[in-house]
Amino acid sequence: MAWSRLTPGGRALAVLLPILSIGGAALTALLIVAGPFIGATIGANLPIVRFLAASVITFLVTVPVAFLLIYMEMKIIALMNLRIGPDRIGPAGAVMSVVHGLKVLMKEDFTPPSVDVPVFTLAPVVVYLASFMTVMVIPFAPDLTSAGLEFGLLYFFAIGGLGVVGLMMAGWSSFNKYSLLGGIRAAAQAISYEIPLTLSVVGIIILTGTLSLPKIVEAQSGSLLDWFIFRQPLAAIIFFIAITAEANRTPFDNTEADQEIVAGFATEYSGMRFGFFFFAEYVNVFIVSALFSALFLGGSNAPINLPFNPDINVNLGSLGVMLPILAGLAPVVGTLIFAAPIFMVSSKIKGWQALLGGFLIFGALSTAVIGFWAWAMLPPIADLLFFLLKTFTLIFIFVWMRGTLPRARIDQLMGFAWKWLLPASLLNLFATAAAVLLTS
Amino acid sequence: MDRALASALQERFSPTLLTPVRQRFDETEIRVSIADAIPTLRALHDEPNFAFEMLIDLCGVDKGEEMQIVYHLSSSTTGDWLRVIVPGVDRSAPRVNSLVSLWPGAEWMEREAYDMFGIIFEGNRDLRRIYMPDDYLSHPLRKDFYLADDASRSPAAGVRNMERAGTPADATRATALRKSSGA
Amino acid sequence: MTTQQTRPSLDDPRIAIPSTSEWYEPAPTAQTERQAEFLNLRDGEMFINMGPQHPSTHGVLRIVVKVNGEQVVDLDPVLGYLHRGVEKLCENADYHQAICYTDPLEYVASLFCEAAPVAAFEKLMDVEVPRRAQYIRVLTMELNRIASHTLFQGWMALDLGGITPILWSFIERDEIVDMLAALTGQKLLYNYYRIGGVNGDLNHEFMSRLGNWMSRAAAQIDSNTGLINENELFVRRTRGLGTLDQATALRMGVTGPNLRATGVPFDLRRDHPYLVYPELEFNVPTRDEGDSLARYMVRIDEIRESIRIIDQVLHEMPDGPVMAKLPRLIRPRPGRAFGAVEGPRGAYGVYAISDGTDQPFRMRIHDPSFVHLQLVGPLTRGNLIADTMAVMASLDPVMGGVDK
Repeated sequence: MAWSRLTPGGRALAVLLPILSIGGAALTALLIVAGPFIGATIGANLPIVRFLAASVITFLVTVPVAFLLIYMEMKIIALMNLRIGPDRIGPAGAVMSVVHGLKVLMKEDFTPPSVDVPVFTLAPVVVYLASFMTVMVIPFAPDLTSAGLEFGLLYFFAIGGLGVVGLMMAGWSSFNKYSLLGGIRAAAQAISYEIPLTLSVVGIIILTGTLSLPKIVEAQSGSLLDWFIFRQPLAAIIFFIAITAEANRTPFDNTEADQEIVAGFATEYSGMRFGFFFFAEYVNVFIVSALFSALFLGGSNAPINLPFNPDINVNLGSLGVMLPILAGLAPVVGTLIFAAPIFMVSSKIKGWQALLGGFLIFGALSTAVIGFWAWAMLPPIADLLFFLLKTFTLIFIFVWMRGTLPRARIDQLMGFAWKWLLPASLLNLFATAAAVLLTS
Repeated sequence: MDRALASALQERFSPTLLTPVRQRFDETEIRVSIADAIPTLRALHDEPNFAFEMLIDLCGVDKGEEMQIVYHLSSSTTGDWLRVIVPGVDRSAPRVNSLVSLWPGAEWMEREAYDMFGIIFEGNRDLRRIYMPDDYLSHPLRKDFYLADDASRSPAAGVRNMERAGTPADATRATALRKSSGA
Repeated sequence: MTTQQTRPSLDDPRIAIPSTSEWYEPAPTAQTERQAEFLNLRDGEMFINMGPQHPSTHGVLRIVVKVNGEQVVDLDPVLGYLHRGVEKLCENADYHQAICYTDPLEYVASLFCEAAPVAAFEKLMDVEVPRRAQYIRVLTMELNRIASHTLFQGWMALDLGGITPILWSFIERDEIVDMLAALTGQKLLYNYYRIGGVNGDLNHEFMSRLGNWMSRAAAQIDSNTGLINENELFVRRTRGLGTLDQATALRMGVTGPNLRATGVPFDLRRDHPYLVYPELEFNVPTRDEGDSLARYMVRIDEIRESIRIIDQVLHEMPDGPVMAKLPRLIRPRPGRAFGAVEGPRGAYGVYAISDGTDQPFRMRIHDPSFVHLQLVGPLTRGNLIADTMAVMASLDPVMGGVDK
């Protein structure tokens, strides 16, 4: 076997094709033989299976989201700085963050000699878990929550606060004064801003009477003005500032102020340990944006209700045996149809280039058609789309703030939290309570 | 060239001036002895018709047979620079009084003069080396500073070729003492 | 040691390289009174070492900070990491080579580093610089001043946490630097001034770039400045920070924008004029507060004044030679000369002593950043660690000049 004469792509194919084909065949055989038995087991334990599937999918979804956020940050801040940012790896540099992730995995795993080893090792895990466990209660769509807990909001704040423990562990166990300073700053900042954070949403809890996030999202359905950002504007502002501080983002990023204390609590971490912190921070940004959009921006509710309701009823089952045949023929025919004009446009275009172009166009078109059908016929898709739109708008605002604003000093930061945000959130709470009392 | 300044200086400080006031372009120069240096500078700073409030520079000079301290001052009353040269500092044991009591900003400039020449400024509370490492043994800007000899005492103990302490004859001198006339 | 001996290698056990485990917190011995005071730790205090490798110290500078929690109790800068022995090198080189050695001192504004020794040597040689060369020198120095101040702007914002202004400042600076590269052939260490004039007349490329730049310079700098000035966070971090009063500033030997921010209108271009500055009309901007924000605003005002000066120079530049007739071997009469220019950081002076040979006997370089760095300690005492960087950035030191 001329292994050395294969290109890397060829080698990948030579390895993957046998695995996929044999694995696929084995899986199909297993399903055919033991299918009914598996189906019965799953049916009997549906809640557990559902929970497992939802958790795994949620965790798996957050990793690409973190990659996307890292890329967004690099690219958007670069454009604001009048630079270009990543543009070599992948189209417009989109694969850059994956490369960063791989690089971080491949670095040497170095533990400095005089650290407190168990605490040092567990700190990134705690920070990571604290971020990821809160993803379970985010209401992506009315039926798309991993765990629709009755006390979801309380769970969110409780578990999210565990991240502080992880930062303190990191700061204390690294045998380094910079880390110590960073860890203490992180703890002080997080604790100071947790109180306005929780108090500002109590107004919403009073208005809706529930701690459950899906129900809060439901309470904002109706019209645009039902969104809590219009009903509780002060709470929205306080909450926004508090989550900027909780997520350690500029202008409250003292914990990682690299002009002063190198990398703060993460100074002694390298390789994948640092990768954990890094990822956890971006996942944190995602989940606090998601929470803000769930609480204040109506979550998955559409801003305006479309006047028409497209109803595309396609009954694919009636095709019978023609279904797999058409499914096999459609890509081929579509590619050829779209490749033909490309091929004929210029004599410099080679055959394979035209076919590739045709395939891409067919792929884009079919994705658009299926996407439109999904959006029209499957409610969760539309809801998910709106939710993600709002979340990413908020994330863009966070990135924007990072590119523009300098940093607040630690005493100014904490003074602001205790002297301004806390009284403001109390004021909001009393006003909401008074309003509810007076109008009921 | 400010003639009025020259005559005012000559009049006020004539007992302590070692040579007459010299002027060239926009610089006026006076020489005073070590003992008179600080009182003269204090008078130049305090008296309202001189008002030399700004210390521009403080440096040491190694003349070969002796050392000098040179101060440059600036005043808002005149457009000339005033140079105060304090000659006659003994090369083997250089000691002068410190200017820190009058201009606290002279502290680091005196540290530099100490580091480069070995001049001890009495009254400077922080007279330690500023550029060279703390345990360096010689003073680089002196005319008899010999690089190879000094560098062999460095932590790498003469690993590099230039750090070998050969005899002075088979290495090139850093600077040779030149006959200086009137400088 | 004879030359026959084997060379010692770095693996030689006699050379003790300490291992990592015994390398933390060596107790330094105090050599002076002040150092003993500094090293004396009270309850709750600790030393933080903002070491020579640090993302934010304007060059290689080590600051040992004694902190009580977040509050700075005392501060000791340790210099010498960039000491290149320039003064000693100049004693062994002839007069032309000595000018090349002085370029990399204040590398951000290197034309000023050349202008001062050139002025001193011209006094020693008693040579008159042609009028056109004087105007060219003023033009290029003011351009370099603007480049340095825009870089200062970006640097200051970067030290406070804003990552965008520095890149915008570099865009501004790039335009000026490209202009000067078209003129001198270099982008950072220009090596353009010679004793008796400049090296080469202005060329078409330079003039066209200069014309393009002048037409939009003021507006662009104003818009870049707005991002920082009008930002509440920036203003709150710098207002009232590191306040220096006039008397202290004069006693500490401060010159340049740091002194003008305390209200003293001392500018070498007015008080000890050189080149063609007596004939040019410009203001000397001052502020009264003496805090970091005032130091920042003074430099912004100076950029505008520099643009005015460049405008006047361009209108009044005469024709003529750009280099005086000098012998090839520069051998001045024995004597002393002090030449000083107003650099973007303060009074940059060179005291040159000639002994009649073709090498300077002593070339003393006075750099303003050296004197200003003494202020970091007194000004930061009582503030937080984050303010150390803010104060240092507002004093605008360049370690190349500090360490010579």
